Amino acid sequence: MAFHWRSLAGIALVASALTLSACSDDDPTGPIDLPPTNATVVATSATSATVSWAAVTDATNYIVQRAPGASGGTFATISPATLTATTLLDTGLEPNAPYRYRVQAIRPTGPSQYTAEISVTTNAAGTVAGVISANITANRILYADTVYTLLGFIQVTNGATLTIQPGTKIRGDTALANIGSSLFITRGAKIDAQGTAANPIVFTSARSAGNRKPGDWGGVIIIGNGIINRTGSIQVEGTGVGANNPAQIYSGGTSNTDNSGIMRYVRIEFAGYATAPNQELNSLTLAAVGSGTVVEYIQTMAGLDDSYEWFGGAVDGKYLVSYESGDDHFDLSEGFVGRLQYLIAMQTRIIAPLANAGSPAVDPQGIENDGCDSNAAGCANQLATPLTTPIVANFTLYGTGTTNGVTLPAAGGRGMMLRRGTGGYYVNGIVSRFPAFAISFRDTTTFQRATAGDFVLSNILFAENGALFEPQATPILANTVRHYTADTTVNKLSTVAGTASALFTSVAATLPANGATFDWAPVAAGAAATGGLATFTGALQTKAGTFIAGTAFRGAADPAGPKWWQGWTSYTIN
Amino acid sequence: MSHTFVRRLTLFVVAVCGLSNAGDAQTPAAARSRITGRVLDPQGAGMSDVGIQVVGTTIGALSGVDGRYTVVGVPAGTVTLLARRIGYGSKTITGIVVAAGQTVEQNIAMAPAALQLATATVTATQERGSVSAALDRQRSAVAIINTVTAEQISKSPDADAAAAVGRVSGVNVQDGKYVFVRGLGDRYTTSSLNGARLPSPEPERKVVPLDLFPASLIQSVTTSKTFTPDQPGDFAGAAVNIQTKEFPARRTLVMSSSAGYNAAISGKSTITAGNAGLDYFAFGGDKRQLPTIIRDQGSFNPQPGQGLVNSLLGTFRNRWSARPSTGSGNGSFGMSVGGNDPILGQRIGYLLSGNYSVQQNIKRDQVRAYAAARQGIEEVDRFEGTSAGTGVLWGGLANFSTYLGRNTKLSLNNTYNRTSDNDARVESGISENLGLDLDITRLQYVERMIRSSQLKAEHSLFGGAHEFDWSATASGVTRREPDRSEIVYSRVGAAAPEWLAIGTESAVRTFGDLNENTYEGAANYRMTFFEPGKELKVKFGGLYRSTSRDAENFVYSAQGLGLDNADRRLAPEEIFDGRFTQPGENALSLVPLSQGGSYTAEDRLAAGYLMFNWQLRENVNVITGARYEASSVEVIGTPTLGAPIRTNPKFNDVLPSLAITYKATENQNLRFSVSQTVARPEYRELAPLRFRDVLGGDNVEGNANLIRSLVRNVDLRWEWFPSRSEVLSVSLFGKQFDNPIERIYLATSGTRVVTFQNAKSATNYGIELEARTALTKLSPSLENVTIFSNATIMQSEITLRQGLTSTTNANRAMVGQAPYMVNGGVTWNTSSGSTSATLLYNVIGARIVDAGVVPLPDVKELPRNVLDLSLRFPVVRGLAGRIDARNLLDAQYRTKQGLVTRESYYTGRLFSFGLNWQP
Repeated sequence: MAFHWRSLAGIALVASALTLSACSDDDPTGPIDLPPTNATVVATSATSATVSWAAVTDATNYIVQRAPGASGGTFATISPATLTATTLLDTGLEPNAPYRYRVQAIRPTGPSQYTAEISVTTNAAGTVAGVISANITANRILYADTVYTLLGFIQVTNGATLTIQPGTKIRGDTALANIGSSLFITRGAKIDAQGTAANPIVFTSARSAGNRKPGDWGGVIIIGNGIINRTGSIQVEGTGVGANNPAQIYSGGTSNTDNSGIMRYVRIEFAGYATAPNQELNSLTLAAVGSGTVVEYIQTMAGLDDSYEWFGGAVDGKYLVSYESGDDHFDLSEGFVGRLQYLIAMQTRIIAPLANAGSPAVDPQGIENDGCDSNAAGCANQLATPLTTPIVANFTLYGTGTTNGVTLPAAGGRGMMLRRGTGGYYVNGIVSRFPAFAISFRDTTTFQRATAGDFVLSNILFAENGALFEPQATPILANTVRHYTADTTVNKLSTVAGTASALFTSVAATLPANGATFDWAPVAAGAAATGGLATFTGALQTKAGTFIAGTAFRGAADPAGPKWWQGWTSYTIN
Repeated sequence: MSHTFVRRLTLFVVAVCGLSNAGDAQTPAAARSRITGRVLDPQGAGMSDVGIQVVGTTIGALSGVDGRYTVVGVPAGTVTLLARRIGYGSKTITGIVVAAGQTVEQNIAMAPAALQLATATVTATQERGSVSAALDRQRSAVAIINTVTAEQISKSPDADAAAAVGRVSGVNVQDGKYVFVRGLGDRYTTSSLNGARLPSPEPERKVVPLDLFPASLIQSVTTSKTFTPDQPGDFAGAAVNIQTKEFPARRTLVMSSSAGYNAAISGKSTITAGNAGLDYFAFGGDKRQLPTIIRDQGSFNPQPGQGLVNSLLGTFRNRWSARPSTGSGNGSFGMSVGGNDPILGQRIGYLLSGNYSVQQNIKRDQVRAYAAARQGIEEVDRFEGTSAGTGVLWGGLANFSTYLGRNTKLSLNNTYNRTSDNDARVESGISENLGLDLDITRLQYVERMIRSSQLKAEHSLFGGAHEFDWSATASGVTRREPDRSEIVYSRVGAAAPEWLAIGTESAVRTFGDLNENTYEGAANYRMTFFEPGKELKVKFGGLYRSTSRDAENFVYSAQGLGLDNADRRLAPEEIFDGRFTQPGENALSLVPLSQGGSYTAEDRLAAGYLMFNWQLRENVNVITGARYEASSVEVIGTPTLGAPIRTNPKFNDVLPSLAITYKATENQNLRFSVSQTVARPEYRELAPLRFRDVLGGDNVEGNANLIRSLVRNVDLRWEWFPSRSEVLSVSLFGKQFDNPIERIYLATSGTRVVTFQNAKSATNYGIELEARTALTKLSPSLENVTIFSNATIMQSEITLRQGLTSTTNANRAMVGQAPYMVNGGVTWNTSSGSTSATLLYNVIGARIVDAGVVPLPDVKELPRNVLDLSLRFPVVRGLAGRIDARNLLDAQYRTKQGLVTRESYYTGRLFSFGLNWQP
């Protein structure tokens, strides 16, 4: 055994010496698989890094690969097919994230070895201050290492595309001269705001933390070329007032398949300024936006007006969160025919807004749908076409309840206000903690939609609400505001005893602390985990298409699925 | 009426009477009588250099500037006057009764000799009479004008200038204040006092509410419907001029008082907003001021802490509710003293006059609603309730004039008027949007003041062939609407009403303030060439006017996010009594609303004109000329939040005119007139701010891009004067507007917004008829009965611009235009004129008050038959009685939109009894 040891050691020593001598050999005619030398990488911004290396004789081109993270991950080629330069700017990275690179030279005789891994961490987001003070009339990129401040009413016009890198922060200025700062994506222009769960794009108030309030700034307004059911020239509420805030006309669109771009992983906070009394800007206004547009993974927080408002159009939406609204969480009207799935609305209080910015609404509701608002100009009547016929599936509406000392105005506190000739399919939802009524099924025209078959309430779970349906009130209201009810058995409208809080994995029954986190997944064997309409048929199936499938559960969270709201949403109101 | 007030009034009366008696005692007994008056030419202008002689004596005088004359040393008895001037027919007036030591007033009208060869002889009674004078003025005026005189007003129950001008053909008066002429909005009507432009006390309009002028101070109200270059060019409907009274011929003291009641409110249980201060003198605004500590917060940036908010809330007057009360009566008191006395050797004419009135106003059974296109067009938001309040109007004038030599007259005219309206409105109804029953209470106090001082000089040169006059006027208005409060309670089921507590409109206090000052200087020079009958008068002149306006509006909303349901059920005066604003409390909040804001306007106008008035042939008179107006307006709007916005439009225009009068026969005229005039945007319309209309509640936004509109006017009129007090006339008129400014609605994804745009064009045309006749022809026994009527039938069409961002109905009649208007009346009086009875009737066809928003029809005010009755009778010597009954039919006021009643109410019948005492 001892001899064998010795002879093995000897062989190893010889081999090592040979190897070492090869490595230290500077002869350019050395082994052909040697990698490029002097490879380095430096972060050039929050979303880009520059890789460079020394040229290799005879190399025809180079290959650069990247792997995410400080370790692990998979290397993938990022260089173009025939990269001959000895430097490469890698863009589209996430801010403040580690990446590893390696480089390979290609010679006529074959590829070299890869260089050793070199690593870099991108810059932190928002290290540079920038302002946007003029309208955007040509394609423009907003970079994640910059915190942008919107000075006044900024319009993206002229068919330009505004690209916003993940992790970019955009603040609405609150100085008096720019009060109501907002971002408008006008008809024909596009937004390309694709954040990530780790680096969402954030629109917020320019005030410092601790001083931010609902109404600090205006909001994000997208105007598409979709179709609404009002005629004449209709302006987006709150426009046409003050300097550089021209009236934004959203009527007269012709294509419900219009494309206004992409919004993904975007938060909109402390918006909702009212440019004139009762002329508020919503956190996210989707006016006549067409179905070519992608809207998903969006959160609004502490807006003064509605969180989301759709005026006509046909844009679809998924994974939408609304936390603490000054008015309605989801407002659908004027012929909106889009499809929405996985919606969470949570209201725990009414937050005093910025003085002078407007007021919390007298009638805050979870979902508020109008066919055509008969008090508005240009509505031939409440059943003007196209009829408001959305599909809203897998929604969780979680109201103030009566346990947190919040006194809602008498006209508010309804989970779903469905009125003025609205139709639509409301399925697999949860309506909870609305002290007035879970559903207000209002107006003869809305009832007509139900009898016509395009108004459907199905498989909805109720907890901790006032009455399920708002009853026909005292005689004085008769013939002015008619209320209707729907059969709870036929429509599978079930009410669960106990608290709404008990339905979910982790949603506090009491007023949540700032920065709370929530887990909306149904508790196992809870009422929300089941009871859904798993298979859509008939008109519902036709309407849902491939965008929305039935679920066995009710509410916005699949007990077995990803917790899609986690990581990128915020609940810190300061 | 409070006891304090009555006591003060009594003291006032006693003091003034004492003064007047003392004055009499100091005057030495006049040994000689005087005859004084004015000599007028066929155009109604004063004629100088007319020789006046008392027939059979050598006593006489020559008329001076403005036609004034005074013959002194006239023997007592019945005398005859002879008036003569070269080129004019002599005129003899017989039967002038002159008492010893007294002064008699006698005006004389002259006619060119070519028309009248022999000396005309008329009786003094015939020559007198303001109705005739008014018709004379109408007959002889170069333009188409209508005049309402003091005498006509005194025979009507009209209490102010607005009511009086409403009797004129083609005129209708909105809200008892605003004058619409020939269906054109108040934008197209200008108002002047003694010939100088009046500033406007309205924040959103340029109009002058004519109810500011008590009837007792008015000599005449003239409504000119056609343009001549010597008039301001910014009208298309009419130029209304209020002439205050001049001094009487002899020292006169007139006192009048009246007491009355409104059958719908007096003695009945009603509501009141309550008084805060000197409301009965229209000085209640002082006690309703915006608390300084709140004003100092500006736009609440940085936001005050809760402790400060609590103390701010405590500084508001704690008044939100209307109180129950018993309606009181109406009353008025007036006094004037005038004369023509030597002061330091200079004879000075003077008139001092004061007037005070208080009136109860009510809108009984008030219903307000909106129309909405639900399935069909249906009524929504119906609110029922009552408005009640007290209106106070007082004012006075102090006019002085004197002659410097024979050829210069100097006048100093001062006017001051003040009104207040203290109103409460309670209403209950349903909000369709909120799906709630609501109780809304509004307390509103509005105070207006208007003042004017004018120095005017008239010079007669070259024996009357040239005349020169100039004037300098300073005037100002204020409008204060301090502390309007609005509070909303909701009712759910049988529970007690609960304060809405959330939302900008749950509890609102509004403080509005407007000041406007105008300085105007004007001069005119008139030269007369050739002999009477072939005269060529050349008139030229200029005007410069500077107007500054300063308007601000602060609006605050109080909310109660921290109140629970039980707290919200308290009465408003409990909620705001301090219990929720103790240190440490966090229940109530206070924010200014962005509907506030202020604006300032600087308006400079320079104008000059040249005008020829040529007696082309003995029966053809031509007036032609042009006026140039250069206008520069700067409006700076400052929103509650945000940067100020400035706009500065300048418009320079030449405004030509041609008027031809053809005297077909001695008493028939045919008139033709064509002219171009302008209508400029009003200040508020140019301020691109958005704030809530004080009157309507809509969000109103100005438009800095408005341009002025040009109006082309054509008038044709035939008139026949069968006798001195009879008239029959027919007028045709047509107007074409380029870029008329219209109030339109913008549709938004939220609440709708009102703004102003230049429409493409508009036309307006119609026919006016006027007749007045004594019924002598029917039966001699009806000699003392006169019937009169005027009627207007008209049509208009406005076309909004293509692509206008408006949802207002685009093709329709102009807002405010009625298809017809009728005024009529019958009056009976004894030969002496001391006893009379007058019945007046008025109706206006359905007119658009608000253009409809697609798909709704226009909102129209429906015709309303109004009948007023007045009786005048002597009681004892020097004392005359008057009984007035107004609104005898108490027809419902109603506006409708399609089949939906938008607003309706009754204002009640008014009765009053009054006495005039002229010792």
